[in-house]
Amino acid sequence: MKQSTIEVVRVAAGHWHALEDDGVVGRGHTTYRPDGRLFVSIDAWHGTTFDLVARAMLASLPRPLHTLVDEADRELTAQWHRVGFVPARREWEYVVPTDPAHTSLGPGRPPRATTIVARGRAEPDRLKALLRAIDEPTLLRDPSRYAAVAWRDEYLGLLRLAPVPRRPVVGLVAVRPDVRRRGIARALLAHVLGDLHDAGTRDVSATVDEANLPAVALVEAVGGRRGTSQLELVLA
Amino acid sequence: MSRTPKGIEMEGTVVEALRNAMFRVELANGHRVLAHISGKIRKNYIKVLPEDRVLVEVSPYDLARGRIVFRYRA
Repeated sequence: MKQSTIEVVRVAAGHWHALEDDGVVGRGHTTYRPDGRLFVSIDAWHGTTFDLVARAMLASLPRPLHTLVDEADRELTAQWHRVGFVPARREWEYVVPTDPAHTSLGPGRPPRATTIVARGRAEPDRLKALLRAIDEPTLLRDPSRYAAVAWRDEYLGLLRLAPVPRRPVVGLVAVRPDVRRRGIARALLAHVLGDLHDAGTRDVSATVDEANLPAVALVEAVGGRRGTSQLELVLA
Repeated sequence: MSRTPKGIEMEGTVVEALRNAMFRVELANGHRVLAHISGKIRKNYIKVLPEDRVLVEVSPYDLARGRIVFRYRA
């Protein structure tokens, strides 16, 4: 029986190996997110190996535990369900065009009395203040990735763009709660997408939580097309 | 105790993204495998697209299957 020859060992903090004949046939791994949530992943060639690694990991890890699966990967999704994980939220990946002819975005004029701060010019302290104001746990690792909308000496909204080759990723669009629904996010998108279009980039990727209806509406209004969906599963 | 992967790791190029979260990858030796992405890549939101150069661990149980364990920077 194959199952009896596989041994699961913890090889380091947050790392498990499934060993068969001294070779690694499965791996388990954990990562803490900046917001303190613990994410797990398991790679195994067979469901039985997956279950053995999961059993070893779940026996020694605290709760809650989180994991991510591509919803199209039904086999992996079923494996996580089998060990008790249930859906917590779903994120859709959109492909968003940059061409103003397709986005229907204008030149990116910000609301009256505000100005757009281009990527590479945003001030770290003001970005940090806004991230705190919107309760965003993201650490400010690279301020040059952010564009912002400024009013007097503070920022009201920001957009983070990861310069991934061929298809940059819009990682975060956020507006201070007291100034939402004034076109700030739309102005930021228009500005950043317009710049990318001028530089020859055809589209960007944006991941949106399906429960965030304003974000879904904004991305779809500018021509975003749904691609894959990512499911976050949780074991409470 | 040896801790080497039973699967063979080989470089390759993604030639097609399939609908079922799988990718067709052409390995450096010309062999093609069906590969999914590893949990670590998924957990870190690393996107894999056609034409990306990747490192694939080929399954020791089925040489037509693999797992993308690393995406090289373009």
